Amino acid sequence: MTQRERNWLLLAPAAAWFFVMLILPLSFVFVFSFGERGDAGGYVPAFTFEQYANLPARFAAFKNTLILAPLGTLAAMLIAYPLAYQLAVRTDPKWRLILLVLVIVPFWTSILIRSYAWLFILGGQGIPRLLDFIGIEDVRLIYTPFAVLIGIIYGYLPLMVFPIYVALDRLDKRLLEASADLGARPMTTFFRVTLPMSIPGMATGCMLVFILLMGEFLIPALLGGGKVFFVGNALVDLFLQSRNWAFGSAVAMMLIVVMLVTVTVYMRLIARLNTQRDDDVALM
Amino acid sequence: MTDNNGYISKRKFMEELRRYEKGSVTRRHFLGVTGLGAATAVMGTAIPGLRPSPALAASDIGDRVILATWPNYHDPENFEIFTDQTGAFTQVNVFGSNEEMLAKLQAGGSGWDVFVPTNYTITTYVSEDLIEPLDLSKLPNYDPAAFDSRFAAAGTVDGVVYAVPKNWGTTGLAVNSKHEGGNAIDSWKAFFDRTMDDFSGRTMVHDYQLTTIGNALKYFGYSFNSIDEGELAKAEKLLIDAKPHLFAISSDYQPAMRSGDAWLTMCWTGDGKQMNSDMPEIRFTLGKEGGELWSDFYAIPKGAPHREAAYALINFLLDPQVNSREVLAHGYPSADARTDALLPKEILNDPILYPAKDLLDALEFGAAATLTDPNRAELMARFKSA
Amino acid sequence: MRIYAFCVYLFLYTPIGIIALFSFNAGRHASQFQGFSVKWYGRALNNPFVMEALENSLMIAFTSAALASIIGTMAAVGLHSMRGPVRAIFDAVIYIAIMIPGIVIGIATLIALVTVFDVVNPWLAGLWADAEAAPQFSMGRGSVIAAHTMFTMALVVVIVRARLSTVEGALMEASADLYAPPWVTFRRITLPLIAPAIFAGFLLAFTFSFDDFIIAFFVAGSETTLPIYIFSSIRRGVTPEINAIGTMVMAASLILLIVAQLILRRDKKT
Repeated sequence: MTQRERNWLLLAPAAAWFFVMLILPLSFVFVFSFGERGDAGGYVPAFTFEQYANLPARFAAFKNTLILAPLGTLAAMLIAYPLAYQLAVRTDPKWRLILLVLVIVPFWTSILIRSYAWLFILGGQGIPRLLDFIGIEDVRLIYTPFAVLIGIIYGYLPLMVFPIYVALDRLDKRLLEASADLGARPMTTFFRVTLPMSIPGMATGCMLVFILLMGEFLIPALLGGGKVFFVGNALVDLFLQSRNWAFGSAVAMMLIVVMLVTVTVYMRLIARLNTQRDDDVALM
Repeated sequence: MTDNNGYISKRKFMEELRRYEKGSVTRRHFLGVTGLGAATAVMGTAIPGLRPSPALAASDIGDRVILATWPNYHDPENFEIFTDQTGAFTQVNVFGSNEEMLAKLQAGGSGWDVFVPTNYTITTYVSEDLIEPLDLSKLPNYDPAAFDSRFAAAGTVDGVVYAVPKNWGTTGLAVNSKHEGGNAIDSWKAFFDRTMDDFSGRTMVHDYQLTTIGNALKYFGYSFNSIDEGELAKAEKLLIDAKPHLFAISSDYQPAMRSGDAWLTMCWTGDGKQMNSDMPEIRFTLGKEGGELWSDFYAIPKGAPHREAAYALINFLLDPQVNSREVLAHGYPSADARTDALLPKEILNDPILYPAKDLLDALEFGAAATLTDPNRAELMARFKSA
Repeated sequence: MRIYAFCVYLFLYTPIGIIALFSFNAGRHASQFQGFSVKWYGRALNNPFVMEALENSLMIAFTSAALASIIGTMAAVGLHSMRGPVRAIFDAVIYIAIMIPGIVIGIATLIALVTVFDVVNPWLAGLWADAEAAPQFSMGRGSVIAAHTMFTMALVVVIVRARLSTVEGALMEASADLYAPPWVTFRRITLPLIAPAIFAGFLLAFTFSFDDFIIAFFVAGSETTLPIYIFSSIRRGVTPEINAIGTMVMAASLILLIVAQLILRRDKKT
């Protein structure tokens, strides 16, 4: 068996899976986006660009998402990086695995329950009450964009920690020692050696989180009190409330296009940051 | 895991098994006595062979029935009694809006046996061929004469009975009277005006176009069901002006009202009754301009997987004894005179359940066009994303 | 640095603590604590729908994570030594898979499967002599597993490839130069090097599937997973029963983790 044949064999199951469970369903969405809404909702076959012409009606949803998603990604990365660094570089290997898994364990409790806990923490009986004790009165946290941001950071932290950890973990510790032996100060070692080496992990983490955030709907729905409206919420409403499948499909197509554009731009930036490496590291 | 007596001798087991086979004890009794109940409940789903076959069950309706209904709308104990009587467990799925129920049924593969549509949706279910005509011979507890026709009529479309009445109610407002400052909120005008004034940041509206837009329309005295473009535009402006002052747009308002984070909300009868019972300072009232009057029904969707169990459950819940326990638990009035006869006087005189006639007369039933109107759905989306 | 890590863990576990605290609430409502009780644990354990939902969720999460890890790793290894248009197409497909929001995957899968089943089922029934006995496709655990695997497999491919791209190619080349058969090279050299990434991918896949609500909500048919049960119960008003379920799931995973760690330790000593 040649390497070529072997590669085909390795790829075949994934290819079949993606075709049936992704390409096929997406083709339906694509076709539906040119259709019309039935009188009682649902989908009626047609060929019209009307749904695409209607897209400006969801401009606000796209705008909200395109502001909060990058902000949440950045915040999650800033919080995750030091933790991943601590785990990968500074922690005794015998504790490493357990600490790493502890990052993910809270996520085995449904996001729905955890968001309810945040409702309590951010609600009138939680942090605002504590602030009240030290004299800061009438702080409103719950059902604000801030609450959504907290929920986003909380919800996506492990997705950020893991890739950065993986990147830092395969960092050759001897490099760090060599750098120190050569008299480099810890900060210099970090900025000259560690940080550049961990860019692929950061890039993967940011991309995963950003992409998932673009389609997020539960966190804004639960912690934003219905007032923080993402594209995901627009889609849920279109499919589950107004049952306008044709328009919903068009919004979904638009979301995919927006993502393709932003992610491509982002990849270019990363590639430029990383020119010394070959195309493998740019992850694409 | 079992709270039963745990140990049982082999001989006793065989005796019980024989009694069970002869049909002198129910499956529930057999499983309970032998301690197999909890075990089968857990294992039954893991190992198909352990699942008692329908033929062995005490009645032949199977071991489960799936009910799609609304929040805070049943007495859980009644489902336990139903299980005792028939061996079938009831799985309760809860929905937030009629649109959502319709969406799930339209998409197919819901797996429901019984669902609880509201009056104005039934014609749509019929025209979309999603609802089963009821075989009334399987519902001996349904006595059309006992029901107030105002709340029962919507279940019959073109002379065919598709749905039998569950409960009725109103959509009013609940307010924490501690914060009213002696100036009671009793109208939709006051609801929105005060929201933009001393209740700023403390008001909740439903995440439901029918009631949120409907009540904003009532602010101007228009019909709750209006689909007139000019009237909707005014309602939209009101909602968008009020939005920065809202605590949340959510139909799950009980927790925030109870914790004191929210002071004022749009509210359905039973939620108002439940909150008022626990916290008397939370007052429920109707907007004096009017608002929504509704009635809910039991119905069976096309393709229900456990149809016999569905009939058995509906019939069970229509039993006046059972129904009166339901009313006491959820606080929504029944349209059944036989059920009312079993209820205590203070419930029948409760102004939350049975509003004064002049308030009630001002209310409107929702209309089918309101449910499916695309403009109202789009208005709601603009309001939420504003 | 340690203090920082401690703060992050505090951030992660405070909501969990609140959930656990309220699971012992004697009262019905999640917002007021009305005395200590363990009755909600009994309620949850005796509720057949909770147990069924939990078992469904575990089964679906484990199966889809295992499938995703195996198929995803195979694809990542295959892609690693590949160039040209096939690789470009595959890359595009993987990124689309990750990029599509869950809600779109859910609704698209539902539409597609319902349509396909409508065509396939009558055809299958026609093939069987006894149409009643013919196998019929329907929405259920299988469709949820298929949809979850599709998405999580893409995650596994990305993670494993990030790792593959950083391990020393020289090692594998050396192994091949020494005429080690490809399978041996893979098992002895590549697999140990990428194992942490596969493990991370499996964990992510399991977590995603176990926590997913929106895809399952659309494609689970009449089956209930734990998030669907919880979503439905939350609408009924959160009772501490939900908190008890969450606490038990947490406790069980922590115990598993500690046991696993102890076994690993002991193995290393002997």
